[in-house]
Amino acid sequence: MSSVSNPAPSARLVGFLLVLPALAVIVGLFLMPLAISVIGAFRTPDGWGLANFTKSADLYSIDVLYTVGVIGLSTLLIGLLSIAIGGYLTLGENPRAVALLRWLYRWPLFIPFIVVGQMMRTFLAKNGLMNNVLVAAGLMAPLDTVSFLDWRGIVISFVWKQTPLVALLVAGAMASLDRGTIEAARNLGAGRLRILVEIVVPQVMPTLLVGLTLSFVTMMSVLSVPLMVASQSPTVITADIAFRINAYADYGVANALGVISLVITGGVAWFYLRHTMRERL
Amino acid sequence: MSAESFLELNGLRVGYGGEAVLSDISMAIARGQFVALLGASGCGKTTLLRTIAGFIHPDAGVIRVEGRDITAAPPDRRDMALMFQSYALWPHMTVAQNIGYGLKLRRVPRPEAAARVAELAASLGLADLLQRKPGQLSGGQRQRVALGRALAVSPRILLLDEPLSNLDARIRVSVRQEIRALQQQLGITAIHVTHDREEAMVLADRIVILNAGRIAQVGTPEAVYNAPVSPFVAAFMGAENVLVLASEPAGDRIRIAPGPANEAAEVPRAGRDLTRGAIEARFRPHEARLHPAGAAVAPDALALHGQVLSVSYPGGQWRHMVRTGAADILVDASQAFAPGSAVTVEVPAPVLYLFNPAAPDPQTSRGATDRPVPNASA
Repeated sequence: MSSVSNPAPSARLVGFLLVLPALAVIVGLFLMPLAISVIGAFRTPDGWGLANFTKSADLYSIDVLYTVGVIGLSTLLIGLLSIAIGGYLTLGENPRAVALLRWLYRWPLFIPFIVVGQMMRTFLAKNGLMNNVLVAAGLMAPLDTVSFLDWRGIVISFVWKQTPLVALLVAGAMASLDRGTIEAARNLGAGRLRILVEIVVPQVMPTLLVGLTLSFVTMMSVLSVPLMVASQSPTVITADIAFRINAYADYGVANALGVISLVITGGVAWFYLRHTMRERL
Repeated sequence: MSAESFLELNGLRVGYGGEAVLSDISMAIARGQFVALLGASGCGKTTLLRTIAGFIHPDAGVIRVEGRDITAAPPDRRDMALMFQSYALWPHMTVAQNIGYGLKLRRVPRPEAAARVAELAASLGLADLLQRKPGQLSGGQRQRVALGRALAVSPRILLLDEPLSNLDARIRVSVRQEIRALQQQLGITAIHVTHDREEAMVLADRIVILNAGRIAQVGTPEAVYNAPVSPFVAAFMGAENVLVLASEPAGDRIRIAPGPANEAAEVPRAGRDLTRGAIEARFRPHEARLHPAGAAVAPDALALHGQVLSVSYPGGQWRHMVRTGAADILVDASQAFAPGSAVTVEVPAPVLYLFNPAAPDPQTSRGATDRPVPNASA
């Protein structure tokens, strides 16, 4: 831009006016609230300080670890399932099975998180559909049934809801690969699993990482699923934030927890950026 | 017999959605032979190569290697290596990993594999580039990595899918020589797909000309060039000047009746089975001679009368567009004739290709290489 000769002042004003609405929206609806929340995290009844963070650490350090664990595991499973789905769509040799999978795997994309939570609640409960089916099929005694409405329920819900998005991105990237790179490996004698792991996945790694980063950040901000599926202690940070505000109107600790989850997603974003920068070199 | 049929194709038919792309493909290739599959784009030559490699299953027919039926065998059980037109190198692997991948799949011990990769890289001039990724290589270097990757597993048959078409013209000529030298040195059987006539002529022991999914002619470069069996092959081999003449076979001679633009002539029959009546004559611009009007021609030659329409200099010789009767033909000469001058074109008998009039078929018209592909039924 700087190399272009300077426009007349009036033209510059018109340009500024054109950008102004968008700028106002970003500043007013995004940057301001963010700044107020971050600042709010350091405001205590006794003035500025780290008291909100100490309190968060005392009350919720287990929950922070729990959040990272549950969402990290979900991300890992989403990655593996997306590779499996994309891989089958790309390398599958049964055209009908491929067409069926292509038609089927995207459905959860169109179902909101709250509905996913509700479905999973009735599906995974001790007397839920899953256990009823297992018992009816004679695979399990009625007394042996357990509820999955804990961390496992959250992971299952997240994976079920988020896999299609990542699979969509990954399958698209796999479909646009030079088929020759797959055929060349096949020609030399590589099996399908080996082609997937050694030829296909390395080439779509940047897309996979984008999908997983987006998914991680989305899951970090979901409140409905943990509330519906497993709100007992320990739970995820979003549920704690809602609780601090709804039960105690304690915006200070809620803001501090918000900053902590921002730091976690920021860390993931940094990891992703570092990886892509290294790829470019 | 066994040497002749190292790789044997018998009655191959390949179709996409009911439409035949290849039909009735039969040929035998001897061990160590370099065969070029030559044809215009869309004639099915890449499909044939991919069928031989095992990526496409034929609807009918048999592929045999040393008498063993491999028609249904998967690509990696055929002892063939395919080199792709796009090279299809793996961008996330180094040159050494690309070349060595086939050895890794075959569980060749690491030191042995490394030695083989180093040896191949040295013979391909890639020794200093082993740790680079394909993105950091030039087109010619990528092409050699792809060749190295195909050769690393010591296949018995090397399949090359237009390997030179992505290189610029000057590199192409030198790489052509390298491929031929390497193939002879290794004694490997090679099948090379190309649309470039000169490339096929220079590289191959035998040329297979494909037209609309069928074999138009198989032979040595000189046989295909000097004795084309059909107007299509003649046109593909550069005999693009086409005339319609009236013939009258008489014993071992063929009499050509005088026409509006040609004088009577008599040429040796040379085993040609020509009908009486209209026939198609073809010849190459540089094999005809141009004289001032009325000049005498050799006894066995065909003389045509015409007028120069235009003249250009593509290099070496002057190229004249000559109108003779209803046809415009191209004739090269070492001296330029001015546009408008009346000329006699002399076509010596050995380079005058005569064919029976073809069935109504677009492939017999001029410029066969540049036209859209005729239907499979052609």
